[in-house]
Amino acid sequence: MNIQDNYLKNKKNIFFSENKDIQAHREKLINIFENDRFDKKNNESLKNINLKNFIDFNYKYQIPEETSVINTNQENSYSIVSLNGQCSSFKDDKIEITKILDEDYNDFSKNDIIENNDHFVNLNSLFLNSGFKIVIKKNNNIKIKILNIITDDDLTIFQKNNYICEEGSSLNLIEEYQNKNKSTSNILNVIKLEKNSQLNHFLIQDNSPNHNLMITTHSSCKKDSTYTQKVYNFSEGYVRNFHYSELIEANSEVDLQGIFFLKDNNTSNNKTFVKHLAEDCKSNQVYKGILNDRSKATYFSNTYVDQVAQKTEGYQLSKGILLSDNASYFSKPELKIYADDVKCSHGSTIGPIDENAIFYLRSRGMSKTAATKILISSFINEELSSIDNEQMSEIIQKKLVRYLSKVK
Amino acid sequence: MFLEIKDLSVKIENKNILKSLNLNISKGEVHAIMGPNGSGKSTLANVLAGKDDYEILDGKINFKDNDLFDLNIEERAQEGMFLAFQYPVEIPGVNITPFLHSAINSKRKRMNKQEIDNLSFAKLLKSKASDLGINIDMLKRSVNTGFSGGEKKRYEILQMSILNPDLAILDETDSGLDIDALKIVTDGVNKLKTKDNSFLIITHYQKLLDYIKPDYVHVMVNGSIVKSGGVEIAAEIEKDGFQKFQ
Repeated sequence: MNIQDNYLKNKKNIFFSENKDIQAHREKLINIFENDRFDKKNNESLKNINLKNFIDFNYKYQIPEETSVINTNQENSYSIVSLNGQCSSFKDDKIEITKILDEDYNDFSKNDIIENNDHFVNLNSLFLNSGFKIVIKKNNNIKIKILNIITDDDLTIFQKNNYICEEGSSLNLIEEYQNKNKSTSNILNVIKLEKNSQLNHFLIQDNSPNHNLMITTHSSCKKDSTYTQKVYNFSEGYVRNFHYSELIEANSEVDLQGIFFLKDNNTSNNKTFVKHLAEDCKSNQVYKGILNDRSKATYFSNTYVDQVAQKTEGYQLSKGILLSDNASYFSKPELKIYADDVKCSHGSTIGPIDENAIFYLRSRGMSKTAATKILISSFINEELSSIDNEQMSEIIQKKLVRYLSKVK
Repeated sequence: MFLEIKDLSVKIENKNILKSLNLNISKGEVHAIMGPNGSGKSTLANVLAGKDDYEILDGKINFKDNDLFDLNIEERAQEGMFLAFQYPVEIPGVNITPFLHSAINSKRKRMNKQEIDNLSFAKLLKSKASDLGINIDMLKRSVNTGFSGGEKKRYEILQMSILNPDLAILDETDSGLDIDALKIVTDGVNKLKTKDNSFLIITHYQKLLDYIKPDYVHVMVNGSIVKSGGVEIAAEIEKDGFQKFQ
């Protein structure tokens, strides 16, 4: 079924389909799908995937019977179970959780550059069927843990979440994705950091082979704010982690880190696009992948430094270990700099595990498998040892042990 | 015979490196191999330790009644062979202490001995490190990472003293060491020497042999041992160089 027919057939189950303005925007998106030749060579959102599988899908959404927000015993700490992309409303003097509204549709979804280049964001806008908005109120320091669950097989979740950290607030957000059923999640997170606010965003992805997960995040940072994203991808199904970031006011910072552990035929696509639009801002990116069997990964990174963005610091680094001759990792870090007083760097190293290091460890009596495992652990040691949340560190260590148990 | 190398010929990338090399080492003996650059000394050390890059064309090696070629790299180490590397590899992120603990226990496991627990190992490591003048803080670091040349060599000897091998091969351990570090390292080696273990010392210079007294000195040129004898050969090389053996 083509996109238009699919949309018309399911319109009644899609958010804001009665809104004329949104309706007009969606028609524009349908035209893009109908007229685009899906040029894989020049569109980074299409690398390593068969777009047909994602466009020609059976739309199915089910409103969950129950949703929950649990305010845990610890002060300022909240636990949310999101079912099929939804959670119930909640409000206290520190946070407010609501459904997303028509007005929340507009911001990032209507970005011209994205519309022409990222078909998954367009699919999200077209078939939007779930999502929520979380506001952290001024000067509060909050922890939230969200467990994302899809309740049934064959569901297609198109979810949009808005996070707003008001001035002086701080949010520690842990999201877990552990779906075992055959389903697809296309999630768009739009994050706004007001002056002097901070968001530490951790995503642990551990889905079964039948679950496709596409997460796109857009963050915008105002003066003195910091957004940190750390993604740990242990999924056996397809995962796409794209991040668009805008440093719009002075002295703001974005720190992006992604580690992916791939095996079998799995694919992970990663992309970042960081725009430095003000002076004295900093961006840092570290993406590391371990790829076994016939797995594939991409990392496209673009850091743009506007001419007003003097004193920018922008760093990009990607590293990959290929455990098999059939695994592949394509990395393309790019810098576009229009200011003349900046510190920027980019680097990428991908290759098999260091045979000299293996020989050294084996010459001390370690088996080849043990030496390989210890070298994989050491490859990501810096990132894992920097996790300051004990519970999360334990979860990730367990998943790492599981991944390593399959390494020969 | 403890180690018996018979007619060993080895090549790498179509270049013959070792040519019908013969060498016998008995228990409790210290042998030194001296030779010019490119004579094949390090190739011999690497072949003994089991590095895969080489093609064995001919010959046999027996080690403690085992055909060495039947043993893989780690089995050779577990059987008591130890190579102190000329250029120890830096391995960021692998902490020295658990790595060495795991190494010693893999050897003990093969010997059907009980594994050493954390506490006993920490004590052993601390005492051996102190003997070699190694700062305890260094044991918190990653393997060879950020070490100076001298620290790397000292750390190789620390590993050797922990693993207590039957046959230790020292591949140019003296290179890059100042005189004080050389003394510390050679003291460490001399302390380990017993009637039950053997050493194969590879070096360019006589200096090392002033501190570790070999029972035999061999001159290696162009992939073969061309002369064997006592420590007087080292003095001869120091005086006249390797030219006369080529």
